[in-house]
Amino acid sequence: MVFTSFNFLIFFPILAVLYWITPSRFKWITLLAASYFFYINIKPVYAFLLAGVTLTTWLFTVLIAKTGNEQHKKLYLTINIILVLLPLFFFKYFGTFNNEVFTLMQAWNVRWPLPEMTLLLPIGISFYTFMAIGYTVDVYNEDIDVEKNPGILALFVSFFPLILSGPIERAGNMLPQFRKPPAFDYDLFVKGLKLALWGYFMKLVVAERLGMYVNAVYGNVEYHNGSSLLLASLIYPFQVYADLGGYSLIAIGVANVLGIKVIPNFNRPFFAGSMSEFWRRWHMSLISWLTDYVYTPLSFSFRRYKIWGIVLALMITFMISGIWHGAALTFVVWGLMQGVFLSTEALTNKRRSAFEVKYRLNRKTWYLIFTMVVTYFLFSISQIFGRAENLDDAFLVFRRIFTDPGPLFLGPPATFINGSIALSLLMFKDFTDEFYPGRFLLFENPGKVVRTISYSLVIILILLIGILDSGQFIYFQF
Amino acid sequence: MDKTEILEKLTPIFRAIFGNNSLVLSDGLTANDVDNWDSLTHMLLITEIENSFTIKFKLKDLNKMRNVGDMVETIISKLQA
Repeated sequence: MVFTSFNFLIFFPILAVLYWITPSRFKWITLLAASYFFYINIKPVYAFLLAGVTLTTWLFTVLIAKTGNEQHKKLYLTINIILVLLPLFFFKYFGTFNNEVFTLMQAWNVRWPLPEMTLLLPIGISFYTFMAIGYTVDVYNEDIDVEKNPGILALFVSFFPLILSGPIERAGNMLPQFRKPPAFDYDLFVKGLKLALWGYFMKLVVAERLGMYVNAVYGNVEYHNGSSLLLASLIYPFQVYADLGGYSLIAIGVANVLGIKVIPNFNRPFFAGSMSEFWRRWHMSLISWLTDYVYTPLSFSFRRYKIWGIVLALMITFMISGIWHGAALTFVVWGLMQGVFLSTEALTNKRRSAFEVKYRLNRKTWYLIFTMVVTYFLFSISQIFGRAENLDDAFLVFRRIFTDPGPLFLGPPATFINGSIALSLLMFKDFTDEFYPGRFLLFENPGKVVRTISYSLVIILILLIGILDSGQFIYFQF
Repeated sequence: MDKTEILEKLTPIFRAIFGNNSLVLSDGLTANDVDNWDSLTHMLLITEIENSFTIKFKLKDLNKMRNVGDMVETIISKLQA
């Protein structure tokens, strides 16, 4: 079941009523049953994998908490991380690895025992695996208490709003809310509905409409000229933002309706003035997870190399981030580019700050706009590797952009007009929230009339120009 | 070495790393209060502190430092060990 399906619109209200009438100490059971029902509805057999990951995590974290022996602790930590990562590696990378070896062996006329294969990725596995690992490390570091009730841990790993695409939550935030469910909070309930509504708008209207153009161009790279490829490449970051950002808002909103608070995933990323700021605003839950569990341990162990240790840690972290997105060379290049951008900033940070202070640039509007545009361009360039089917396509896109200008392909007028209206609305809201907070309130307006008109308008837009039957989010494939 | 002495020794390190000559340290100061104090400069800071006080932190110590006060406490415990 996905948020944009008709089934979900029936499932969720029923669950919300059931949840709020369930006595407090049994609430976790209602949520756990709902979460497995939600997941089983997608593909039943993969629920066993989810249960398996939960069970080993529960077992080894209880062992970690029980033993006083530091070496045993470390051993249990390592075993659990390996066990939890195995299915992820198998389903995500084994197929690619096998097929590469298969092709290579064929070229040498050697028989490789396994035929070419395509494994269907168990949906959400990249997300719940990270949550399970994060929990294990937190227990090992004694940052949180171990959860002895396997049911509550199972709920943390499988919590249905988050399981398909995050935000990648932390046990320290979620477990207390599942153990002692917060009492009904009307404001949070309403806030959740508003967030979900805006999330649906971002996904069904903005992401889908922009996606029509981007897919038309990127689906047939060889038939499009540089101008169209450039436009599609500049639109794609907005599409991903509306897609994953919209999904995240629905997830957060749905959790809020159930009284559960969830960390944010995006913070108006296109107003970032540097790549490091951008990565504090874009897919925040993934980046903060990678910072805590990959980058910090790495940079700590490389710290005697000073700034170069940091550069190395950054490169490795973003390589992992790239490969996490998919087993393809395009994602490796994507990760490398982020690493290079951030390392360059780290190396020049002091000089840049001194320069900005000297000329008081941080107060000059033109300079702020300039840094935002540069950041957006850099990210768009890297996203060409995130979007292209393969490296050849990506390089073709670059070649065409620089050598093959021509008349712009705009697609059917409706696509262009609807896409522009949708994106303008989204960016207008982000712009006012960023620079004039509290000035142009719509969903939060104190006047009931404005609020009602805003809700109605967004609902009408969803029904009128939203694409209601696609049902696929970009991040489901990761 | 007491708390005041440690703060005195920390101040020039902080000022050099974050490029801010008027930075004044206090117990409650956190990364959010200081420009350029992010996960990158934090590790440079840690390394400088280790070298300057000739101590070695553990990864676990880092998680416990929520502000400058925690940092000073950790340094004191390392110096006593």
